Amino acid sequence: MEPSTELPRRWDPIVKLTHWGIVAAVIGNALVTEEGSGWHIWVGYGLAALLALRLLWGLVGPREARFGAFPPSLARASRHVGEIGRGEKVRHRSHNPLGALMVYAIWGTLLVVIGSGVAMSGAPPADPSAVRGEHGEGGEGEEHEEASAGPGQWLIAPARADEGGEAGTEDEGEELFEEMHEIAVNLLYLLVALHLAGVAFETRRTGREVLGAMIPGGNRRS
Amino acid sequence: MAASRKTGLMRRDRQTLLVAAVLVIQAVAAMFFVADAIGDLAADGMTRHIAVEAMIAFALMAGVIVGAWHLRVLLAEADRRERALTVARGALADHLSARFRDWGLTTAEAEVALFALKGCDAGEIARLRGAAPGTVRAQLSSIYSKSGVSSQAGLVSLFFDDLL
Repeated sequence: MEPSTELPRRWDPIVKLTHWGIVAAVIGNALVTEEGSGWHIWVGYGLAALLALRLLWGLVGPREARFGAFPPSLARASRHVGEIGRGEKVRHRSHNPLGALMVYAIWGTLLVVIGSGVAMSGAPPADPSAVRGEHGEGGEGEEHEEASAGPGQWLIAPARADEGGEAGTEDEGEELFEEMHEIAVNLLYLLVALHLAGVAFETRRTGREVLGAMIPGGNRRS
Repeated sequence: MAASRKTGLMRRDRQTLLVAAVLVIQAVAAMFFVADAIGDLAADGMTRHIAVEAMIAFALMAGVIVGAWHLRVLLAEADRRERALTVARGALADHLSARFRDWGLTTAEAEVALFALKGCDAGEIARLRGAAPGTVRAQLSSIYSKSGVSSQAGLVSLFFDDLL
């Protein structure tokens, strides 16, 4: 028989580490690294690893972290909106139904960002500081030479295509991925803003427990 | 005592955090290794070198999955122990009232149930509460039916079950 003692809500360390790691990676690639640079690609791969671990955790993790605990359900979400409208406060062990939709939306967007990024960059460069970003790519031929001289680097792809005589289609594909990458990233920023707004709203509505669950050392079990 | 319990909890927190951090690093390393191996495979085709690399990549990924599984067991264990501790500590009273609330006992029934758990029979409870024995017996049978047991011993054993 399960005792009905309620422990304070708190995410497990994997959920916290992957969440804040992804936050750091998104901020890093948005503000710090140069677009298309080796470091940008490295951070992107790191982000992909964190997301992959979180998705694995969704299969084998503790109950609150598993996909089954927060199914993407519009019916549940609209019921939840009803609860908010009536001012009812239901405790959720996992994400609340609206939060669950947001989680899947952000994950899906991240997957598009990662997929299009990998399609453009290929394998991560052996030396990230050797690969310059987009701004260094265009004009100077020397840099191009230098970059494509190293093994397994991202600028090689168009060079190989030249040899095969398919430069046109390859470039088009590249452009398409670039477009996808940019659109998905902008969508990601929008979703992050909505996510923050949602957390702020929920914190005002039901208290600081929502916030404490994700903050390191928050909601201490005393 | 409360202090030592708290440090115990913090130590367990640190332990799981350490395992989790190692798992995260392992996952990141695995991602880079796998991406690199795939890149090499695309560039050079299948060589013995890549076959070994692929094996290492596979082992790393398997390590991540097994590690994640292990961490889940660790967390579940910590959670179970914490719940058990909550029951064993002075929180027993809270626990009782939570269970009484779950069953939907009225205030009077909850008081009677508490006496019953302490081993009082209907007559004694009636005397202590200054009520008629018939009332107490009716309340007891209502308590039994709400909690899904058939006797006072069954009621006691429900809580013993939580503690063991």
